[in-house]
Amino acid sequence: MSYTAEAFQNEYLALGASEVNAIVTVTSTGGEGGRRTGGATEIIIVDASGSMQAEGRIGAARQAAKTAVECIDDGVHFAIIAGVSTAQQLFPDPGRLAVASPQTRAAASQAIDRLQANGGTAMGAWLLLAAQLFTQRPGDIKHAILLTDGDNGERYGYLDSVLEQIKEQFVCDCRGVGANWKVAELRKIADKMLGTVDIVARPTELTAAFQQMITAAMGKTSADVQLKVWTPVNASIRFVKQVEPQVADLTGKRVEDGPRAGRYPLGSWGQESRDYHICVDVPAGGSGDEMLAARVHLMEGDTEHARALVRAVWTDDTALSTRINRQVAHYTGQAELADVIQAGLAAREAGDDRTATIKFGRAAQLAHASGNSATEELLSKVVEIEDAVTGTVRLRRKVAAEDEMALDTRSTKTVRVGRGQ
Amino acid sequence: MTLMTDCASCEDELASGATFCEVCGRRLAEPPVPEAAPATARKDCARCGAAGSVGDDGYCEECGMMAGRSRDHLEADGGTAGAAVSDRGRRHHRNEDAMWLAVGEDAADVVVCDGVSASFDPDAASDIAVRAAGELLAGARHPDVLPGADGPDETVDREQLERPPGAVGLAGAVAHAITGAAAAVASLAHTGDPRRAAANPACTIVAAAVRGPHVGYGWVGDSRVYWLGPEGPAEQLTEDDSWATHVIALGADPVSAMNDPKAHAITAWLGADAGPVRPRVRSFTATEPGHLLLCSDGLWNYLVDPAEFGDLVRECLTAANSLLGAARAMVAYANAAGGADNITVAVIPVRPAVTEPEPETTDLDTTNA
Repeated sequence: MSYTAEAFQNEYLALGASEVNAIVTVTSTGGEGGRRTGGATEIIIVDASGSMQAEGRIGAARQAAKTAVECIDDGVHFAIIAGVSTAQQLFPDPGRLAVASPQTRAAASQAIDRLQANGGTAMGAWLLLAAQLFTQRPGDIKHAILLTDGDNGERYGYLDSVLEQIKEQFVCDCRGVGANWKVAELRKIADKMLGTVDIVARPTELTAAFQQMITAAMGKTSADVQLKVWTPVNASIRFVKQVEPQVADLTGKRVEDGPRAGRYPLGSWGQESRDYHICVDVPAGGSGDEMLAARVHLMEGDTEHARALVRAVWTDDTALSTRINRQVAHYTGQAELADVIQAGLAAREAGDDRTATIKFGRAAQLAHASGNSATEELLSKVVEIEDAVTGTVRLRRKVAAEDEMALDTRSTKTVRVGRGQ
Repeated sequence: MTLMTDCASCEDELASGATFCEVCGRRLAEPPVPEAAPATARKDCARCGAAGSVGDDGYCEECGMMAGRSRDHLEADGGTAGAAVSDRGRRHHRNEDAMWLAVGEDAADVVVCDGVSASFDPDAASDIAVRAAGELLAGARHPDVLPGADGPDETVDREQLERPPGAVGLAGAVAHAITGAAAAVASLAHTGDPRRAAANPACTIVAAAVRGPHVGYGWVGDSRVYWLGPEGPAEQLTEDDSWATHVIALGADPVSAMNDPKAHAITAWLGADAGPVRPRVRSFTATEPGHLLLCSDGLWNYLVDPAEFGDLVRECLTAANSLLGAARAMVAYANAAGGADNITVAVIPVRPAVTEPEPETTDLDTTNA
């Protein structure tokens, strides 16, 4: 794989300023024609709790799982877990992984037909079994899909302890079908497992959702990529966030690596491009001083793939220091957009309509100004947007639960800014 | 005489006829100094004092401060044939000026460029401009040398043959060099950092070719050429492509025009957004000994009065026992006055043509002043 890393910033700071912001864009062109050079393992976890009988969910889940299996490339290891009160391996035999081939895919399809919805929901146990199966394949690109339709039924705190134990060991994309599951719960899993969370409102949409996730997973060519960030002495990192394709705060995932440097996990990579916002506080310099505020390395194990420099140059020329970098401004806005939507949803839930209206109003303004029409549309199902420019909105009296959950899960999705200063 | 030679010390290509490498300043005849220390021996940080902490990218591994750039202070020493010094100054964080000096026997090529701060990567613009112009100037022949008279190994360039003789021919060579530099700078807009496309790298240029008593020079922007005779004020040979010059030409008061915030706004430059570049070129043949001085506005901005300018240059030339020393002293003067901009100065002595003394009139030489 060949990677590039590029920093976008206004490196000029006014005298006395100490906050340095930069957007680092990491792009990989995909090596070997975008093909994997190592192995890959895929595990599909399907909720088979009793509630899945409603609305033909279990039938749709079976169909989606079969489609997903069909999308698994030959030679990729895979397994299917039936999620009930305990984790049951549906295919292949317990404790084993199958190697994808026309025969194993057909056998898996038959096993999926036997999937019955009659149990509880125990996400911690399901994930733990997946983690155990993945340990057979060290070095593989590890991806799991978790499909559920309800709340976790395990004792309080168990899921958290499991996540703490298995975090970042594999990438897990979580999907909730219907409207009876908790966004916060799946978001917690996706965050710890460096995956995504989304709602599949209607069971009929499951097949497309699974297909999309598997296709994306099959396109990954590197298992474990990290961002290593060095900062000078007396500097502190305020945050490291992924800001595109969606907002994900990586600040707390730092693992120290040598003097003044730490690593942030990015999960698996294919042929793609992602943007990161890095914010560092540094001791202010004098006029004309130039400081390296952060050196950002893209690492895969001990191999450095790319490097970008985040600089700070102090100047008394206000024409330089007041220049606004478009990338930084745009993604600062996108992160704020995600935050105000969360705040708006929380206020609405708490019955604080006034705060909710203010927050959603700001969200409408930000979404409109940044051209994030997808978020603006989701927002318009929860509030009536009277004037997006001024952020004038009215709360809708009746909001479908699915619409609210879609806004919640997708509020972190960002749009990319056009390049150029 | 016009063959390309490589510098043995830094392996950078050298302009023809030069006795010094433009890049490392080393005299070509000297053997290269062996690598003083292996790459693992790192410099100490001048800021925080940490020992051996300066990394490969020039920043301190401890405090992060830039330990200094190679372009912060550059000197080119052409002995008695010319010298040039470029300095970051005291207020700018990097040196966006660039210079080129190639000297030969009785010949010198000199280029000074000043990056336009409002553009993106102006230092890259000035750097590529001096190289492009300098390499093109290398083809400018000595007007007193007949084509083909150099020897059998000389490759004859048709363009050179067709060029008019004397100083006028040099002016043509300078125009050609500046046009080439303009194309090189314009090409930068679509390479490297994408921000270059929005604010394309740009710079000024002033270039001169000296061959014996003949001088050809040209410019785009507000970097200048001065002529300094044995006495009297410095004579500015260029007319700035700037707002101030424009309004002064229209009758505005020179002092208030120069103090206007717009004074330095240039009306012509090299860069992708400059449109077709028409360098202004001129030439002359020296009839008295003097010095040609090329500089960026980092120097001349502190020397608005031509008489003061002339006195300073002569003072520097007298006080220092070398051209390099004089150039350094002028840079020091600008820094002492505030160093608000990057400063670049090049000094080239020009001597009038020596009339071949006829054997029977040798005793009359002393009366020919």
